[in-house]
Amino acid sequence: MTRQPDPAGHCGADHCITCADEGVPMRVSRLDAASGLAVCVDEAGRPATIETGLVAELAAGDTVLVHAGVALVRLTPQEAPA
Amino acid sequence: MRFVDEFRDAELGRAVAGEILATVEPGRHYKVMEVCGGHTHSIYKYGVDDLLPANVELVHGPGCPVCVIPMGRVDDGIAIARRPEVIFTCFGDMMRVPGSEGSLLDAKAQGADVRMVYSPLDALRLARENPDREVVFFAIGFETTAPSTALTLKRARAEGVRNFSCMCSHVTIVPPLRALLDSPDLRLDGFIGPGHVSTVVGALPFEFIPRDYGKPVVIAGFEPLDILQAIQMILRQLAEGRREVENQYRRVVPYEGNPRALEVMAEVFELRPHFEWRGLGFISQSGLRLSDAYADLDAELRFSVPGVRVADPKACQCGEVLKGVIKPWECKVFGTACTPERPIGTCMVSSEGACAAYYNFGRFAREREVV
Repeated sequence: MTRQPDPAGHCGADHCITCADEGVPMRVSRLDAASGLAVCVDEAGRPATIETGLVAELAAGDTVLVHAGVALVRLTPQEAPA
Repeated sequence: MRFVDEFRDAELGRAVAGEILATVEPGRHYKVMEVCGGHTHSIYKYGVDDLLPANVELVHGPGCPVCVIPMGRVDDGIAIARRPEVIFTCFGDMMRVPGSEGSLLDAKAQGADVRMVYSPLDALRLARENPDREVVFFAIGFETTAPSTALTLKRARAEGVRNFSCMCSHVTIVPPLRALLDSPDLRLDGFIGPGHVSTVVGALPFEFIPRDYGKPVVIAGFEPLDILQAIQMILRQLAEGRREVENQYRRVVPYEGNPRALEVMAEVFELRPHFEWRGLGFISQSGLRLSDAYADLDAELRFSVPGVRVADPKACQCGEVLKGVIKPWECKVFGTACTPERPIGTCMVSSEGACAAYYNFGRFAREREVV
């Protein structure tokens, strides 16, 4: 049984999140614009400090894709193909 | 969540598989390359290929950052790591990649201070906490990871952290794709484009593939439904005579990429004239090094490295696997001398390597499945 990688920094059983083209959706919980850092939480509620300088006009509650400790993009909801 | 769960729905997956079956021309064999190792991993983890018709073949591409690091580069890292003043940091999988005389993990067992980090920012934190040591970060990865390294170097500069440096082995995705497309021994019908690289570079860099080579590209997410839908979009382009770059991964990938990330990368990195790829050889302008403005943070300049080119072990066929010429199980040492526990080649090291994906999910031979 595999488990999801933990964006706070723990590898899953079969996946090392920063080793490759892996990204994890996280919700912005607390933002500190001055330092360019934010506390983000993953789906399981685990928090991590994330660098947010690459995403413009970020707000608490936004969901971002996190890779190697950096938010790369704000996510846009998309319907699955029906 | 409309980012992950819906894209694992088995019923929807079977529905898309039905559309795929209805789209393929019987008697025509389709070869579709998934560029990214993350896709390879998902395909075997979720059994996506089992839902495909027999005449749709997935070919595994070179997009696994660990898999493409040549042995000489590992040796260079180990040479730095063995210095007594150095704390050498890298991502987990990189520790197990064999060099000519063992891996970084072996060097650690022999006394070198090698530590696994999850982000270059963690390496910078180590440098702050250990001002009397030299902390070196072994930076690997495609354009997904390079912005993280670039931001870290900018932070190190801004904070005046002098005991931090970076051994830059970042690579770019377009040059190896061009090399593959120019390779005479590979006939491909289309590409599943790399999802997370594209969050940074956007879709534009892939437009040369339909334009110059007449092949469809569909940028795809990493859930099973994403991959199935991308395959269906490629097949539909082929059926309708269209050749273009399409974006299946709209919830994540903006067509223009991330301009801020590209700006930071342009400031911190510059292209190397040549970079050696494991199995693919030297490819022009395919690797990154630190720009002159950041040369003082370049570990290769701060410490002397052997910089010797080391040939791959004779038994290893990672090069042919990375080019999609052979399937992992066709390699002479797959699953026997070369396993995830004792890898000979890099494709067996990373969970995103094609060999590890086949091995971990029980794909030891195609014939067994057909019979």
